[in-house]
Amino acid sequence: MQDQGHKKTVKCPECGNLVEVHGNPGEKKLITCDLCNLKGMYTFPEEVPTAGTYSTDETVIKVKNLTKTYKDIVAVNNISFSVKKGEIFGFLGPNGAGKTTTIRTLLGFLKPNRGEAYIFGKNIKDNIVEIRKNVGYIPGELALYEHMTGRQFLNYFNNLRNTHLPLLEELLDIFELPLDRKIKGYSKGMKQKMGIVQAFMDDPEIVIMDEPTSGLDPLLQQKFYDFLLNEKRKGRTMFFSSHILSEVDKICDRVAIIRQGDIVALENIENLKKKRGKKIRIKIKENPEPLLQMHNAKIMAGWIEFPSTENIDKLIKSISKFTILDLQIKEFSLEDIFMRYYTTGGMQ
Amino acid sequence: MDLNLKDIIRFRIVYQTVIDYWKTTIIITALFGAMAAMYSSIFPSFKDTIPEVIEGFSDSMSWLPGIEEMGSYVGYLNVELYQIFWMLILGMIIGFIAASIISKEIESKTIDILMSNPVSRAQIIIEKFLGLIPGFLMINFVTMFVIMGVSIGIGEEVNFYFVFLTHLASIPYFLAIISLGILISTLIDEKMKSSLIMMSLVFVLYIFQSIAQMIPDLESLGYISLTQYFNTFDILKDGKIDAVGMMVLLLVSVAALLLSMFYFEHKEIKV
Repeated sequence: MQDQGHKKTVKCPECGNLVEVHGNPGEKKLITCDLCNLKGMYTFPEEVPTAGTYSTDETVIKVKNLTKTYKDIVAVNNISFSVKKGEIFGFLGPNGAGKTTTIRTLLGFLKPNRGEAYIFGKNIKDNIVEIRKNVGYIPGELALYEHMTGRQFLNYFNNLRNTHLPLLEELLDIFELPLDRKIKGYSKGMKQKMGIVQAFMDDPEIVIMDEPTSGLDPLLQQKFYDFLLNEKRKGRTMFFSSHILSEVDKICDRVAIIRQGDIVALENIENLKKKRGKKIRIKIKENPEPLLQMHNAKIMAGWIEFPSTENIDKLIKSISKFTILDLQIKEFSLEDIFMRYYTTGGMQ
Repeated sequence: MDLNLKDIIRFRIVYQTVIDYWKTTIIITALFGAMAAMYSSIFPSFKDTIPEVIEGFSDSMSWLPGIEEMGSYVGYLNVELYQIFWMLILGMIIGFIAASIISKEIESKTIDILMSNPVSRAQIIIEKFLGLIPGFLMINFVTMFVIMGVSIGIGEEVNFYFVFLTHLASIPYFLAIISLGILISTLIDEKMKSSLIMMSLVFVLYIFQSIAQMIPDLESLGYISLTQYFNTFDILKDGKIDAVGMMVLLLVSVAALLLSMFYFEHKEIKV
């Protein structure tokens, strides 16, 4: 896979057979279906410019069969994933799904019951202090030393990290903070900004964030997303946990969806959407019953709605026998996908 | 245990702990200085009535070391200041503070952000321990100078070298209290709870000694009391330091610290 670039699986529009194709972004490849011999061109999607090109196959976080239980509650159940250098890895799930437990185990706050994890190739069990030298962290429930001023807090942490802070100036330009005021008097948004500043200031290789946008107003959130994409361009690896689908959709390269301690999907965001096909919404004059049966569709607010992975031409032809009043063909949002994972337990 | 000497030598958490408790230290120093000044300076007007006073509570207080010599300045200082204010009340205050040193970080959840730095858990324990010592030393020696000064002022005789030895010998006693406090603070996650438990523990251990002294059958109870190993009267009067006692206190301190480090190292830091 390394030599051949990216791997894609393409469904043959004729017979539905799945064909594997290897190539690089932007490259055009001729594929031949090995069942029905249909030939076609496939163009690998260009990487989005903001996504940068730093993402390599070098793994910086590797989690293997990690299980964490509290008494008899399984918080994280035998999960495995790896984060590649230079990517923004989304970790998506509702509250209580096991996101925070996974992160706290990675940072050495909790001991796993089974399984192991490696950061920079080092086992977290024996090297956690060494590892933390190059990992920034924004806690989910951010608590700062309220009796200190912002400046005192940053000084203290600068001393603890025993390194210089190449990014501090830049960070304070973006996320303005009243450094001479006591943190006690900070608003929730200011504290969150302080959390961001301290995590990035010493230029760590990886930043692990546990729902970092909570407490930020929409304007600041946007600033933060821009900042993250810019950091990604510089090659920084980021682990981004969230329960907000739209933000993961917007900034992450890959996403793991976690549900009740299990990872139910782990995929490139673009693939995830593609694999789920398109969302078709249609209004017809006739009785919708045959259409409903044909596509396993449901009626939502007057629209007949169903997902389709079919060839679009075939689809249009198949519905052309109806009198179409209105038609919408939309990409699946991550939200649609997510909801299906959560309501049906997967969509195989 | 993950302990990197190079990191500890930087003493960052030590320094921050000293700064954090600076105000508290000043307040306690002022209080104990004032208390020492007050008690020692009222001795001249009090000394004539002391024999009657002793008569009155000789039974109930007979366990206090040196109570029979309360009529003398040294005996008076020992009972009024050292036995009660120093060993019991300051012991409870220092215990209260030490027992919140880890639990307050866990309760307020600042432990998360602290531990996101490249510091080991054992290092946090050691540095917090070291960080409490300068404050105690200040209270200790300022009080000593106040007692010396007031003694000169009121013209009562006391051997200054013995007073110094008493305050020197206070160090192992209070180190033991600080370490035990830190142990409790790693065991219990709520800071008020851990502090109150440690305060009660200091009190109970103090009472154990008195019970051991009063009831011969329970003499062995005295061995688990910290005060048993630190007799201020012997030092103040004769300059006699119980070397074995001091060693026991230092051993208690080291053992409590090691236990804290071991326990904290394996503790789950939950949300």
